Amino acid sequence: MTMLVLQIVILCLVATAIVLWALYFPYPSPLIRRWLPPRKRWPETQIRTWLKQGQFQRAFLRHFYSDPERIAPPGNSMLAPADGLVTSAEILSGVRYLVIALSFWDMHVQRSPASGRVLHVESRGDGFMDGEGREFAFLREKSCPVQKRLVIATDAGQVAVRLITSIAARRIETWVRDGEEIERGQRIGRILLGSTVVLELPASANLLVCMGDRVWAGETAVAEGLTSP
Amino acid sequence: MNGFLWFSGHLGWRIFALAVFTGLWWLLSDLYWRLQSIRISRLLVTMAAGWTIGVGLILLGFYIGNQ
Repeated sequence: MTMLVLQIVILCLVATAIVLWALYFPYPSPLIRRWLPPRKRWPETQIRTWLKQGQFQRAFLRHFYSDPERIAPPGNSMLAPADGLVTSAEILSGVRYLVIALSFWDMHVQRSPASGRVLHVESRGDGFMDGEGREFAFLREKSCPVQKRLVIATDAGQVAVRLITSIAARRIETWVRDGEEIERGQRIGRILLGSTVVLELPASANLLVCMGDRVWAGETAVAEGLTSP
Repeated sequence: MNGFLWFSGHLGWRIFALAVFTGLWWLLSDLYWRLQSIRISRLLVTMAAGWTIGVGLILLGFYIGNQ
């Protein structure tokens, strides 16, 4: 009898695992999620479904809002302000726009590329594109970008970090104020379900990354060779 | 089929082993598919081949054990 009970218990466990698999298919069952990398743990189609429903899995939100410590490399190089992929590094009117595209699985806290003083924290909304009248590479795919632009005065001149989110999300938190002194790699804000961060550098800056490179906020050196004006 | 489905007051060890192996193999294949991103046709062939070999080894093990 004991043997029969043991067999039934084992079979029930296996059956439960299969039922869970079937309930969650095509997405991963909760039993195997922990062994999958974030992109496979929460596939894009699943996240887009959550976005429509306005409900998210708690584990995904924990991952999304994670804010791990970062160690800035030694030296004076400019650091990446966000996690993501470098999608463009065009020069327009003497400014190099280093565009970093964030995915759903990237850490969404932005960090200062250099130490210095915050000159402005500007909010830009839907009118920004019309007002500027220029079509930056990083805005081409975005009809209504909502932005915050942080201008930082560094020893090597002015740089700016733009945090761009979608019209749907429209939420950007900035954690620094005008006139505040900030450290290299310090947390400066967070885009909630945002998509793009642009680092504006002088065109003379020597870029250390190229298109397609993956960068980490506060850890990856993206430019050097900036000199005081 | 003597002892295959039912043996001495509990499920036969062979059918039990086959059922557990089949369930675990199915789940393992799903995990492998998600980690490797292989084509579904290749996955099905690998799954079927692995399952056949596994079942063969289980039955062979019982056969040798009963000798």
